[in-house]
Amino acid sequence: MWSSVQRWRGVALIAAISAVALWLAASGRLVLYIHPRYIVFTVIMAAIALVLVVAAVASAASRRRRDEEAPVSRRERALGLTAAAIAGAFVIGMLVIPPATLSTATAQQRQINATAADLDALDDAAQADDAAVARFTVREWSGILRQTSDLGFFADKPVTDLVGFVAPDPDDPENVFYVSRFVITCCAVDAQPLGVPVHRPGWQSEFPIDTWVSVSGELGANPSESSLQPLVVLPDAVEAVEQPSEPYLF
Amino acid sequence: MTARLQTPVRREDHRASRRWGARHLIAAGLGVLGIIALIVLRAATAESGPAGLPDVAQDLLTLSTSVVIESLPFIVLGIALSILVQVWIPEAWLLRILPQNPWGRRAVISLFGMLLPVCECGNVPLARGLVRRGFTIPESMVFLVAAPILNPVTILTTHAAFGFDDGILVARLLGGFLIANVLGWLFSLHPEPESLLTGRFAEECRVDDGHRHGTRAEQSVDLFVRESSILMPALVIGALVAGGIQVAVPRDVLVALGSDPLFSVLAMMALAFVISVCSNVDAFFILPFASTFLPGSIVAFLVFGPIIDIKMLALMRTTYSTRTLLRVTLVVGLLSAVLGLVVNYVV
Repeated sequence: MWSSVQRWRGVALIAAISAVALWLAASGRLVLYIHPRYIVFTVIMAAIALVLVVAAVASAASRRRRDEEAPVSRRERALGLTAAAIAGAFVIGMLVIPPATLSTATAQQRQINATAADLDALDDAAQADDAAVARFTVREWSGILRQTSDLGFFADKPVTDLVGFVAPDPDDPENVFYVSRFVITCCAVDAQPLGVPVHRPGWQSEFPIDTWVSVSGELGANPSESSLQPLVVLPDAVEAVEQPSEPYLF
Repeated sequence: MTARLQTPVRREDHRASRRWGARHLIAAGLGVLGIIALIVLRAATAESGPAGLPDVAQDLLTLSTSVVIESLPFIVLGIALSILVQVWIPEAWLLRILPQNPWGRRAVISLFGMLLPVCECGNVPLARGLVRRGFTIPESMVFLVAAPILNPVTILTTHAAFGFDDGILVARLLGGFLIANVLGWLFSLHPEPESLLTGRFAEECRVDDGHRHGTRAEQSVDLFVRESSILMPALVIGALVAGGIQVAVPRDVLVALGSDPLFSVLAMMALAFVISVCSNVDAFFILPFASTFLPGSIVAFLVFGPIIDIKMLALMRTTYSTRTLLRVTLVVGLLSAVLGLVVNYVV
């Protein structure tokens, strides 16, 4: 038992993980985990891995004699079996639990807007025409808000259909929420939460945390007394929407 | 090479293993069916599987899965290159290009990454292959440390992120080269280099020499089975620990230390250790922090991170003993910190 676990655990793991990766790519969900620029590379290498897995299984049919494995101490054997069991349990999780995006729990643990946003956002926005402003995502708006709180700047720049998930403002959770998105540079591990504050008293009764919403409105001075954000979106409309197929920004 | 060594027994072995019959086809068919079954299972549970995990558990799964999926292609590439080096490239060819003098050898080895642009997780199987092919153990470390930094993809992405601002790119490349060579020199002083390895890998290297049988294709498949059996559990466990720490330690604890010349260096190294992000893209990851942190701490992140992080330690543990890894971590950590401080105070 030990020797076949030892021999086949890696092949089983790599087969399951590659199969999951291929399925994720086929169903367009690989972007839940990695940046789109790696999709082709990942698919090619996963396919190569599966070819090697099939070759390994086929060659097992002609193994007339086993390699003499190096003798292994009891402790090492127990350790190896435990590692294989943990890895196996994790991969079963990968196989049967529906893929999901990161939740608000991680957004708050990482602090929304903790990193400096795109430094060019303000200059770009100053030159953008109305159509471009209407296309701004959470990334552009949060970048602009980091750099200016001049209300005049926002006079002719309304927020249009800004999509993100709802996360509470820790300083005034009753009245202010963030429309948030995660930004990814490589994979979900490095996801940075960005958010644009929205003032809407009693929002929690309409939109549970983590709901995806689309917000339209004007930026204005923050009416909240305890929130630290100088400017917020004063929404004309907040609607619940479906989670986009690419929930992260890249 | 096996051809030259053929004894009568071996030749018979050789012919027998060439005979591919119905049994192999059936086995291959079963393998394909197994893979299809895995994909069907995944597709079937996509919408209605056992959901309802608490947020934290779900995020742990998502984060760890993303580390595993991100590393998978590099591990496969690393195993493939390792097979190439061990089975398909003549031994003499590989050793002939190296200078005789140990410093020169290590300097050339630290530039291997320019030709083999695998990021750090793929380097572990490759380094194992190099040791089996006659490289000394300190030389394998030089390769492991230098290759993820001195490789074309990393240089391009670091340049794309930082240009030549604040000497970050230059400090990263020179720093990586120096640290690799100092580390290699320190370990070359070790009286018993074999004791640096885990017992199991040392044993494998010893057994390996007289032990090659079968065609090259069979050897390749056998190596794939052995390498994946060692690396995959390590990768999954490294990813789980990395994901677990991400869920547990608030990010702002690290970011708060950003502007102090000393603490910012240490905080960035801690971040690099925790985040376990691949060296090919870590420059993009750290770019948003560039305005909060001093340049030296960014350099420390970019030099320390590719070599030492949770995922890498788990992978390297397959090959080097725990004591060796502690020493490597200490040496690399100290040198990276010094490099960061020099950049902070001098440049």
